[in-house]
Amino acid sequence: MKIKHLIAAIIGFLLMIPQAHAEIDAAKAENFIKKTTQEGIVEIINAKASTAERDARFEKLFNSALDLNYIGKFVLGRNWKTASSEQRERFIDAYRKFNIKTWSKRFDEFKGKEFIFKSTSPSRSADQIFVNTVVPMDNADPASVVWRVEQKGDNFKIVDIIIENVSLAITARNEYTAFIKKSPDGIDGLIADLEKKIAQE
Amino acid sequence: MSKKKIVAVILAGLALNTSAYADDGWLETYNRGMFDFNMKADKYVLKPLAKGYRAVTTPDVRLHVRDFISNVKEPSFSANHLLQGNVDKTFVSVARFAINSTLGLGGFFDVAEGWGLKKSETGFDETLARYCVPDGPFFVAPLFGPFTIRSGVGYAVDGVSTPVYWGAMNDKNYSAKISYGFAALSAISARERGLELLDDLEQNSVDFYSTVRSAYLQNRQKMNSICASTNAAPGYDFDFDDEDYD
Repeated sequence: MKIKHLIAAIIGFLLMIPQAHAEIDAAKAENFIKKTTQEGIVEIINAKASTAERDARFEKLFNSALDLNYIGKFVLGRNWKTASSEQRERFIDAYRKFNIKTWSKRFDEFKGKEFIFKSTSPSRSADQIFVNTVVPMDNADPASVVWRVEQKGDNFKIVDIIIENVSLAITARNEYTAFIKKSPDGIDGLIADLEKKIAQE
Repeated sequence: MSKKKIVAVILAGLALNTSAYADDGWLETYNRGMFDFNMKADKYVLKPLAKGYRAVTTPDVRLHVRDFISNVKEPSFSANHLLQGNVDKTFVSVARFAINSTLGLGGFFDVAEGWGLKKSETGFDETLARYCVPDGPFFVAPLFGPFTIRSGVGYAVDGVSTPVYWGAMNDKNYSAKISYGFAALSAISARERGLELLDDLEQNSVDFYSTVRSAYLQNRQKMNSICASTNAAPGYDFDFDDEDYD
């Protein structure tokens, strides 16, 4: 074995130690999603508040329930490694604003709907779990919504939502990787495009 | 070169590209070109037709039209349930077709559903998946949209296994009219249901082709995992790989 490989193996081993998390608490993870969806439905969708007030509440819920730093890093994929820290920051900021804008609009679709909880499934990562839910639909089969939840200490965060077998994070990563590959401005081009979409009415 | 030969050459070319997830080189160039063409056809033909259809019908009428379309496909569901070894579902499906075609006035009313005979849609694509036929690469067909080799074969077989097609075969005078009419009605009805969703996706996408391709292939993972040898735990396919954070 070359010395380089040996050093890499040792560093790799050392890096693994602080990442050895305790097993995620499935019941608590499910409760976290119950609380989050309940808050979203009661205090935002069904609330008799102005649009501005509801948007502000949604933004607060979105920021507290999702780990956007983790998701942002995932959706940039291998481009995260080559991005400068300034680009990473700008991307996460644009991605956060873009998602808040698109999802506050989509959220109304859940008016009058409820989430039915269907247990949890394990993940390959010890500190993550899938919380399975279904949403009954009018004139159609129930829609499946799976929440990927991570635990950090006593805190829980959503890191992906899989709607009808389509992962939002994986879709965004495929889309952004393709965009960056084609765009002459690379990541900067992607950030500019997202900012343009945020500014659009 | 005859049409059949051209199709054979295209299929052979696609089959050489064994991974459904590899999308580069000539196949991607072709797919993106065809995708753009389909989007234009959608913008100027299918989408306006779907909007018009919505304007002149009520939600109730559209529901009955969907029931009618589904009933026409019911014999194909039955045959595929049987091929997949689902005897219970085969009986339910046969009973549904008999009841809905008669008491349900040609399928416009889903009477059977009210009697507890629940609809369970399937197709030849799923039958092939059950027998572990690989999915093959992703490609965009002119006007028909995204497919994999297996879903394309499944779509073609499902198309010729409906009563509309058999009826058309027996009477050449009406063959084209009936099968094209049914295909058009199915396409417009399906497009009408997706009006808002597709607009939303397109507006919020930085590369719509990649979004559609990714969503289409992810959606097939569940079906692909029904083959016994690749059976995976639910949700497991959506795990983030370690290499994602290299």
